[in-house]
Amino acid sequence: MKLSKVFYNGVVKENPIFVQLIGMCSVLAVTTSAINGLAMGLAVTGVLIGSNVVVSLLRKVIPDKIRIPAFIVVIATFVTIVEMFMKAYTQDLYNALGIFIPLIVVNCIILARAEAFASKNNVLASAVDGLGMGLGYTIALLVLSILREILGAGSIFDIQLFGPSFEPALIFIMPPGAFILLGILIAVFNSIRNKKASKEALVKEEAR
Amino acid sequence: MNETLKLGLILFIITAVAASVLAVSNSVTSERIAEADRLANERAKMEVLDIAEEFNTIDEGRLKDIIGSNTNIVEINEGYKDSDLVGYTFNMKVNGYGGEITFMTGVSKEGKITGLKILNHGETPGLGANSTKPYFSNSFKDKSVDNELTATKSPQGDSEVQALTSATITTNAIVDGVNIVRQVYNEKLSN
Amino acid sequence: MSLFTILISTIFVNNYVLARFLGICPFLGVSNKTETATGMGIAVTFVVTLSSIITYIIHHTILVGRLEYLQTIVFILVIAALVQFVEMVLKKMSPTLYNALGVYLPLITTNCVVLGVAILNIQEGYTLVETIFNAFGASVGFSLALVLISGIREQFEVIDIPEALEGFPIALITAGLMSIAFLGFNGLV
Repeated sequence: MKLSKVFYNGVVKENPIFVQLIGMCSVLAVTTSAINGLAMGLAVTGVLIGSNVVVSLLRKVIPDKIRIPAFIVVIATFVTIVEMFMKAYTQDLYNALGIFIPLIVVNCIILARAEAFASKNNVLASAVDGLGMGLGYTIALLVLSILREILGAGSIFDIQLFGPSFEPALIFIMPPGAFILLGILIAVFNSIRNKKASKEALVKEEAR
Repeated sequence: MNETLKLGLILFIITAVAASVLAVSNSVTSERIAEADRLANERAKMEVLDIAEEFNTIDEGRLKDIIGSNTNIVEINEGYKDSDLVGYTFNMKVNGYGGEITFMTGVSKEGKITGLKILNHGETPGLGANSTKPYFSNSFKDKSVDNELTATKSPQGDSEVQALTSATITTNAIVDGVNIVRQVYNEKLSN
Repeated sequence: MSLFTILISTIFVNNYVLARFLGICPFLGVSNKTETATGMGIAVTFVVTLSSIITYIIHHTILVGRLEYLQTIVFILVIAALVQFVEMVLKKMSPTLYNALGVYLPLITTNCVVLGVAILNIQEGYTLVETIFNAFGASVGFSLALVLISGIREQFEVIDIPEALEGFPIALITAGLMSIAFLGFNGLV
């Protein structure tokens, strides 16, 4: 399999949020501001690459029967390392993301990639898969968090965009806004894909 | 049975390796975390009681005596200038909307609040997280410790501080914390 | 905080699904039918309460002090083992209950409510009794949200929804509206 294809697969074709719809908890919870969304995305990307590489390295050592607990141990280890380093070097972000850092352990994306990809492919491909999926996740988080911050707080990366007369719609940084905005985003993504799919089908039809 | 034993052993080895990796990275980062905490604490003290030049942490025995059964006050420091006592700083721990909020506030010997600084919090950006902004913390400055503080949208007079829009829980948690400081100061530290 | 306040707070005001975003995957994944939603709710309530008690005891007897950095890894292993164990016991002791709940049990390990509640119990500094109430309230709140949305989603089958909104998008928007309704509980405690 070509590495560029693996990468494209993660970012666009099988985007974990918009297409696979997994790992939703942290997506909804931490996207209250762009910086939080970006930080969470990068933390997940780091864990994803790390666990994919190690799982791929160990794929011949770990017996099939105990692979799930073994994967969970590997993932939990990386999550704890990320947690420690965030606490040491970026305390503000650590506090803002709070409980959702340890909860990366149960983020379905990571276990799913370990099981579906890393346990069957070589180290390099697994690392690229982790990077692609991680970036796809980060992009989705970033889009949602930028929209929420602009609508809900009138700023982007904490820089005020509008004059003082702008009244931000607070609902968008409160929980309901997260659900509604993500719903709309996925709907937009779906309709673009549907259009593209029906166009391709049409082209095929005509070619016949 | 042999098979089970082998599986268990492999899982045990993986877990053991994982735990030792974590132990190493813990020892690397824990010093750094403690150091970052200490520095932040040091800077915050200077900020909330800027008239003082040196600080002296009140030891545990005396702290117990001062705060009694209160669990919100974590640490009290005496602030000195030219070896005269000029005020106190209080490290507080309260429960906000998104978990624990730790903050520091200073009270001068004249019975005025000299400053407020949020140290750690998990409040919502744009709502409770606005408590770190100057318009909130400055509204506590120079308030007398004689009156109970309340939060309102447009504070006036000596007993009202700024309320945060749509973040009542955060506002109340911090204002209540400052009121505890007032009480403790009035009962035990002013003389 | 009184025990009653903890219950009300976790079920309504700070509902784990609608205000804290824990357990979104099963909330969207198994909420198509009220029947499955109820089954999932009961299974989660059982596992969350049990795992909270066990992780609480482990934290306070073994981890506290020097080994706190192992919290994540130990808790997730305990939960995974517990889920397996419950599955085995149910299979032996009560086949009827196993038939009703069995399919949901493997899904629970990666339900972040379970790990989330276990960690929050420790973070909030609850006592054992408070932990039990918090865990029970959290999972009842989860089940309530799950059953409510499944009731609404059953209606979707008979109405005409724009193509792009079908499935997850409309479920998410519904959840948003429910979350607005739950905001009304603010100030109860």
